[in-house]
Amino acid sequence: MNYSIETENLSLWYGDFQALIDVNSKIPDGQITSLIGPSGCGKTTLLRCFNRVNERYGNVTTKGKIEVLGKNIYDADVSLPELRKAVGMVFQRPNPLPISVYENVLFGLRIHSPIRSMTRTESDQIVEEALTSVFLWEDLKDNLKMRATSLQLEQQQKLCIARLLPLKPKIILMDEPCSALDAKGTGAVEELMEILAGTYTFLIVTHNMAQARRVSKECIFMFLGELIEHRETQALFETPEHSKTADYVQMRYG
Amino acid sequence: MNALTTRPELRKKIVLLSITVIIEGVAFIFFWSVLRKTAATHMQASSASRTSDALPNLLSDLNLILPMSLLAILLGIVCAFYLEEWLSSTSWIRRFIESQVAFLTGIPSLLYGLLAVIIFFGYAGVFKATRTTFQHNTALFYTEMLIFILMVIPVAIKATQEALRSVETPIRESTYALGANRWQVLTQQVIPRAFPQMLAGGCRAMSQAFAAAALLTGIHIWSHTTGLRGLPDRFMLFLGGALLLSNASSFLTEIYVPASTQQN
Repeated sequence: MNYSIETENLSLWYGDFQALIDVNSKIPDGQITSLIGPSGCGKTTLLRCFNRVNERYGNVTTKGKIEVLGKNIYDADVSLPELRKAVGMVFQRPNPLPISVYENVLFGLRIHSPIRSMTRTESDQIVEEALTSVFLWEDLKDNLKMRATSLQLEQQQKLCIARLLPLKPKIILMDEPCSALDAKGTGAVEELMEILAGTYTFLIVTHNMAQARRVSKECIFMFLGELIEHRETQALFETPEHSKTADYVQMRYG
Repeated sequence: MNALTTRPELRKKIVLLSITVIIEGVAFIFFWSVLRKTAATHMQASSASRTSDALPNLLSDLNLILPMSLLAILLGIVCAFYLEEWLSSTSWIRRFIESQVAFLTGIPSLLYGLLAVIIFFGYAGVFKATRTTFQHNTALFYTEMLIFILMVIPVAIKATQEALRSVETPIRESTYALGANRWQVLTQQVIPRAFPQMLAGGCRAMSQAFAAAALLTGIHIWSHTTGLRGLPDRFMLFLGGALLLSNASSFLTEIYVPASTQQN
């Protein structure tokens, strides 16, 4: 089996506070892996390591090794724009840019390509492809000039996924992508993830254990910065090896 | 964070406060001595070197104020970008500059006007009655320059920082996560959204400058009728009070960052 992301003894500190302790994980290619655990256990921190967005907060110290697509991302020759192009990210609150739907989809591509390198027909086609693959094209094809922030939350979240696609990422990181959505929106996003899972590697952080069980093939349980258990979802939920995992998945706390 | 880790924070705050008080105390005593010496010698100097027509005076004032304020505001904006976008919020350079900016913007422009008078008379006093128009203008130039540095730049820095902060985090986060570099995030998302506020901040900085200039003119007239009797001591009393209070407030708000907000 091939792995998209591998970490070796990854430790991370925010100032004096150690948020990740010797995390060793292997995220397999082309399927959905979910990260579960109580609040503050380092799930989001781990997720944000993989495209190095947590460096922006300052005061962050990282030790250990993270290999994304076979390349150590802390090597000196790694280009952050290229890394983030390959590793897309979807946030907890849908955060489309306050510009039109059309421009939102093209934004990522525009910052990675020289100015005026796309013709109008090319860009039209890219927008149509991206929106079609997230099932938004039918709803929005007449409203492409609409401000993206005025869409429904569910559509906004799908648009946030759609704008990653023209960049042709290999991995998509999702930080509680459904926590701001209602049941219908959650269903729609989950369905979308399952359809896209063959093409992209998904890593999602979720507090919703039912969701982790529904969508993911493998599941990682974290507790106070440590990776406790990483197994097939079914096995992790039904026959947890570790007592902390058992306590959490059977909702004895957390 | 527990109670143990907040103690060094308090210690650091007290050390910084004492350093600033010492620096400002020395400056304060220096100004006081200069003031007392020059206010006494200068009183008789006349402003005969300037023409009494309104228009040439106005034009020469504008000629000085406009280019300088543009320069000062630009410098303030660049400084604010550096503080806000390049330095991390825990960097001590940023916290020190921010505390000083808060301190300088907290002083009412009245006091800057008075400060300008002292410096102007102090400088011009060197030439006494023999000064020429050129020397008069040089004194005016240095005075304006100092006041702009002390007053306009901090206001511009503060206003620009507020404008940059008003651009919501999700916009920056999503742009960075799509692989944009800092320059692209700034030019394509942050500046277009922060521009109106930055412009408003620039106007506020200019208005401060004009208020001080207006005061300067008033004081100038007053000085010819009363000879500024008793001004030095009263001025230093108020300036001292304002410095102390403003300093205390800026330390409370800027230097002391509650431990809970330092970490994500």
